[in-house]
Amino acid sequence: MHALGRRNVELGLVLLGAIVTGGAYTLMALGRTASLPADIGPFLGVVLGLLLAAHVATRLLAKGADPVLLPVAALLNGLGYVFIARIDNDLAGLQATWTMIGIGAYVATLVLVRRPNDLGRYKWTFAIIGLGLLALPFVPGVGRLINGSRIWVSIGPVNFQPGEFAKIALAIFFAGYLVEKREVLAMATWRVGPFWLPEPRHLGPVAVAWAASLVIMVGQRDLGSSLLFFALFVVMLWVATERTSYLVLGAVLFAAGAVLAWTTFDHVQQRVSIWLDPWSDPLDDGFQIVQSMFAFAWGGLTGTGLGLGDPTRIPEVQNDFIFAAIGEELGLLGAAAVMAGYLLMIGGGLRVAMRADRPFEKLLATGLTTILGVQAFIIMAGVTRVLPLTGVTLPFVSYGGSSLVANYVLLALLVRISDVTAGRLGEVPTRPNRRARRWARQEAKAAKAGAAA
Amino acid sequence: MNAKLRRLALGLIVAYVLLFVQLNRLQVFGAEGLNDNPNNNREVVRDFSRPRGQVLSAEGLVLAKSEPVDDRYQYLRTYPLGDLFAHSVGFFSFQYGTDGIERQYNDVLAGQTDEQRLDRVLGGLFDDRVETGDVITTLDVDIQQAAKEALGEREGSVVALDPRTGAVLALWSYPSYDPNLLSSHDFDLVSDVRQLLVADGRKPLLAHTYQERYMPGSTFKVVTTQVALETGVATPGTVFEPSTEWTPPQTTDPITNYGGTRCGGDLLEVFRRSCNIPFAQMGVLAGAEAMVAGAEGFGFNQDVPIDLPRPVRSFFPPVEAFDQDIPKLAQVSFGQNDVAATPLQMALEAAAVANRGVIMQPYVVQETRSRDGSVLSRTTPRPWRTAMRPETAAWLNGAMVEVVNNGTARCCMQLEDGAQAAAKTGTAQLGTDPPLSHAWITSFAPAEAPRVVVTVMVKASPEVSAGTGGTVAGPVAKQVLDVALRNADPLAG
Repeated sequence: MHALGRRNVELGLVLLGAIVTGGAYTLMALGRTASLPADIGPFLGVVLGLLLAAHVATRLLAKGADPVLLPVAALLNGLGYVFIARIDNDLAGLQATWTMIGIGAYVATLVLVRRPNDLGRYKWTFAIIGLGLLALPFVPGVGRLINGSRIWVSIGPVNFQPGEFAKIALAIFFAGYLVEKREVLAMATWRVGPFWLPEPRHLGPVAVAWAASLVIMVGQRDLGSSLLFFALFVVMLWVATERTSYLVLGAVLFAAGAVLAWTTFDHVQQRVSIWLDPWSDPLDDGFQIVQSMFAFAWGGLTGTGLGLGDPTRIPEVQNDFIFAAIGEELGLLGAAAVMAGYLLMIGGGLRVAMRADRPFEKLLATGLTTILGVQAFIIMAGVTRVLPLTGVTLPFVSYGGSSLVANYVLLALLVRISDVTAGRLGEVPTRPNRRARRWARQEAKAAKAGAAA
Repeated sequence: MNAKLRRLALGLIVAYVLLFVQLNRLQVFGAEGLNDNPNNNREVVRDFSRPRGQVLSAEGLVLAKSEPVDDRYQYLRTYPLGDLFAHSVGFFSFQYGTDGIERQYNDVLAGQTDEQRLDRVLGGLFDDRVETGDVITTLDVDIQQAAKEALGEREGSVVALDPRTGAVLALWSYPSYDPNLLSSHDFDLVSDVRQLLVADGRKPLLAHTYQERYMPGSTFKVVTTQVALETGVATPGTVFEPSTEWTPPQTTDPITNYGGTRCGGDLLEVFRRSCNIPFAQMGVLAGAEAMVAGAEGFGFNQDVPIDLPRPVRSFFPPVEAFDQDIPKLAQVSFGQNDVAATPLQMALEAAAVANRGVIMQPYVVQETRSRDGSVLSRTTPRPWRTAMRPETAAWLNGAMVEVVNNGTARCCMQLEDGAQAAAKTGTAQLGTDPPLSHAWITSFAPAEAPRVVVTVMVKASPEVSAGTGGTVAGPVAKQVLDVALRNADPLAG
């Protein structure tokens, strides 16, 4: 498919996303107050404006990009906004502002990153940025302890979670490092038990980065992000080296880490026992997950209808538990649709990775897609009691500025990689520049004159 | 690397499929179990937030209604008459559920009967109005108010009913409680109020009229008389030797008359004066089996089929209890020992006499109606038990008139406008020291064509025990009968 066709598909999907968001917003207001929302006109205007801005930026800056990623992200963002507005109207205003900043970050990333392969050159810079961002909440004066987790930073009036951005920086570092070292890393020279490992000096930086981030995570009591980083590192190492033993090693290390964390940290033990048996203390420790399960059950197959459920019974429903609110009010059908949205984004992201012809871009796309897909899985699995609950945001849906902006940057990088790949595959018809056109005209004129002579 | 990417895609798909399976478990297959979980009050909140229909008195006054309010529960249940009908209409509380008619007729009030659901479906799926139902009771505000005023601040119960249909006109017991306080949305207040009510030894939450039993004393002699007449142990002409005490077999402990008086004469005489010894003798002569059968004919040991929650059975000992215990048989025959009756039961006893021996099934709800006014159900009066033959009832009717005109109730039962009352009094001695006694009267009027039964029970206290059933309970019954008879007869013309 040619680039222009892709952009028209994207335009169609973006408009569809706007219609769904507007419809959901209207139904939500009808469900809550039995009257049409007073601000439906301006609301639709802003939604359309933002989506069209992102679309036009893609059309101008990344003609050949994958047409599915942006519309699905926009739809999830829109649906998330409707639920946040339904849960807490004050948060909705903030989330709208963050959405604008997010779209701005998307456009800015497309403008700044023209050749994603160049990012690999700054891999050490990104490593330092990533670890620095992770360590920032520990810096006295700016770090904040909120809800038992040290993952916040306050600078002046701005609060944000640097970890959300750190994961992108570290994905860039890993892609850059692994591209360089993947051959030596794939070569096993010494043996530990049943495993053949590459030389320690090659593995060193990976292990250090991994261990450092894990230590910081555990120190910050942010289990979900630890799990996410771990999955990111193992997956990237495995894909880069194509050696399954890394996957096995990863599983073993994970098991060891889990046992260590369980024996060392009370809060980990507590999370696991709540997961195993929430019913032993359904009014206190197990309250949140039990209420979440009640919300899903109450929604049933088709849901209570937007605005007609009672999702605010779940503490922090606008954040980690927004998926439970969706399950309650839109039912199994709505929850499955949201899951399908993430699967579409995973599919889109991995397609970008598979089509990419440069190893760095391929690995970066893999890492970014893994972040998105695994993070969404971790939190959806947490609120449905498939896994112990570990607090991470549901990408594009949960309330939270840092998460939203970081995910739009992540999206822009995927879009950019798919665009440059399409360019190199010759799918983007390039319009010759002015000088070339003038030269072509002169040539044609000369040829004509020659023919006449 | 692409082969690994395909595997990665597969791995993530598997993870999401796992999630989808769990969603099905939570939302489809396991949903019912989670919804019914005792820790899950979503159903309670939904039901609590629904509009409900009204509960109306017989004359159409509102006893309970739902008012729209601006909080998360949307409707507040209010009871305009406060504590007056708490024991029959009940309450509608978030934490403590419902009671009374609110409980018994919950489906109608909330629009959840099959018929109302069908109406809703036929009326259109997208019609957002909520179907509710109204409940029209047989309860009469004037009679209930009269009962409350006449009893005053004495612990006790008043039951009024129509013996011809079983329609209950009043069910009052003091102390009562204000159901508005239990139905409030201020849950802290509700739980404080409830704690106070539960801690109160007088048990104000209990409908003493049909959920509490007391020793009936001499009001039970109606049953013994019926047994004696129908087994042939006595006839109206039987004469009992005047005596001050009688020692039944198997004991040395004699039975005396109330106040230790000498008492005797024909059956009518001993009935109007309420002598104890003749009734003890008739019970012993008739035998345990006949006495048990007689009591059960009046409704003792039976579930009373009233349309209110948790009625208690009145108690008469089983035949085995009298093996080798004739003194017990002698005592229960004048309503002492461990006979125990609800005030409602003693009203049904009078109703049997008033209605030629047939006890009609008691009910408090006349009719239920859907929101648009069409009748959902209407109560048809139906007989419950046949307690005695019509001629026995006729004789007892006359005997109870004698009680009012020349007997233990002569002091206090002269009705307005010359209406003739019939009654049997009771002073149930609890055998305590100092001696305490419940004061009872069970009565009906007009004697020649009875249309109202009134039973009054005033619980034992030093003050009450200084009087008798006639002097303490009699004036209460008279006031209630006067008000009840002022109402037009619903069955006339």
